[in-house]
Amino acid sequence: MKSLAELDKLREKLQDEMRLREGREDVKVVVTMGTCGIASGAREVLTAILEEVSKRGLKGVTVTQTGCAGLCHCEPLVEIERPGRDKVIYGHVDEKKAREIVVSHLVNGQIIKEWIIK
Amino acid sequence: MLEELAHHILDVARNSLEAGATRVEIVVEEDPAGDLLRFSVVDNGSGIPPYVQRHLTNPFFTTKSGKKVGLGLPFLQAAVERCGGNLEIKSEVGRGTKVTATFPYYCWDRPPLGDMPRTIVSLLAGNGHLNLCYRHIFQGQSFKMDTAEIRSRLKGIPLDAPEVLLWLRQYLEENLDILFGGGDHEVARRAG
Repeated sequence: MKSLAELDKLREKLQDEMRLREGREDVKVVVTMGTCGIASGAREVLTAILEEVSKRGLKGVTVTQTGCAGLCHCEPLVEIERPGRDKVIYGHVDEKKAREIVVSHLVNGQIIKEWIIK
Repeated sequence: MLEELAHHILDVARNSLEAGATRVEIVVEEDPAGDLLRFSVVDNGSGIPPYVQRHLTNPFFTTKSGKKVGLGLPFLQAAVERCGGNLEIKSEVGRGTKVTATFPYYCWDRPPLGDMPRTIVSLLAGNGHLNLCYRHIFQGQSFKMDTAEIRSRLKGIPLDAPEVLLWLRQYLEENLDILFGGGDHEVARRAG
């Protein structure tokens, strides 16, 4: 059973990790969540990414959201922004693809070219 | 189309964020005995000017440049109308907006409530500073979550760190289960 008191333990663990990472820039994963995104599964994609990032113990990854990007026909979209690199946009992402993107792109540094739209 | 009411709630609350809200309050009220399911999203965003308010449920109206449609509220309006419910939007420029959708609890055409913990957690991703208050009332009993309380325990660790959000999702799931009396509530309640 989860209680708010449990958060104290989680906080201590995360505080130690943050000290190690201080000053380094994060990789940003952006999920577009306009109505078009939500209707095609952006919420499910976003939570799948959170799960996979946490499961793999990835540090320095910020998972965030934005509104409609004007590419409604390719939703759900996932953008990956690495500091100093070009932005990569994946289209038609589902939960399974989202997990593969985390493993391939974020963990192994391999862009999955077939799923890129830009 | 949005399949769950929780998707609609996410969509409405996303509008709040687009309107620059720093505080959002989501209330879901389920009263099977009174044949009522109601949710409301209240924000302190920029508010909706009167000329826009006239067009809120028109799918071919949007305030966003470069776009021709705005489907979020029209979808919600359609979902409400299918079940003979009601959608009310009150807004004041500079103060904020309140969206309230009311459905009959027992109606074939009503979308299921769906996954509220997922909706809450998704809304907070990238919005660790948002003051989000979520209250869920079921048969008169209620559960409340306030991000201010969680943040005070985190002492500077971002609320939207993946580990924290996943913890929050589980925390919400467990507490809603208790509120619903345990077990597979959606099936049980539908059968009732």
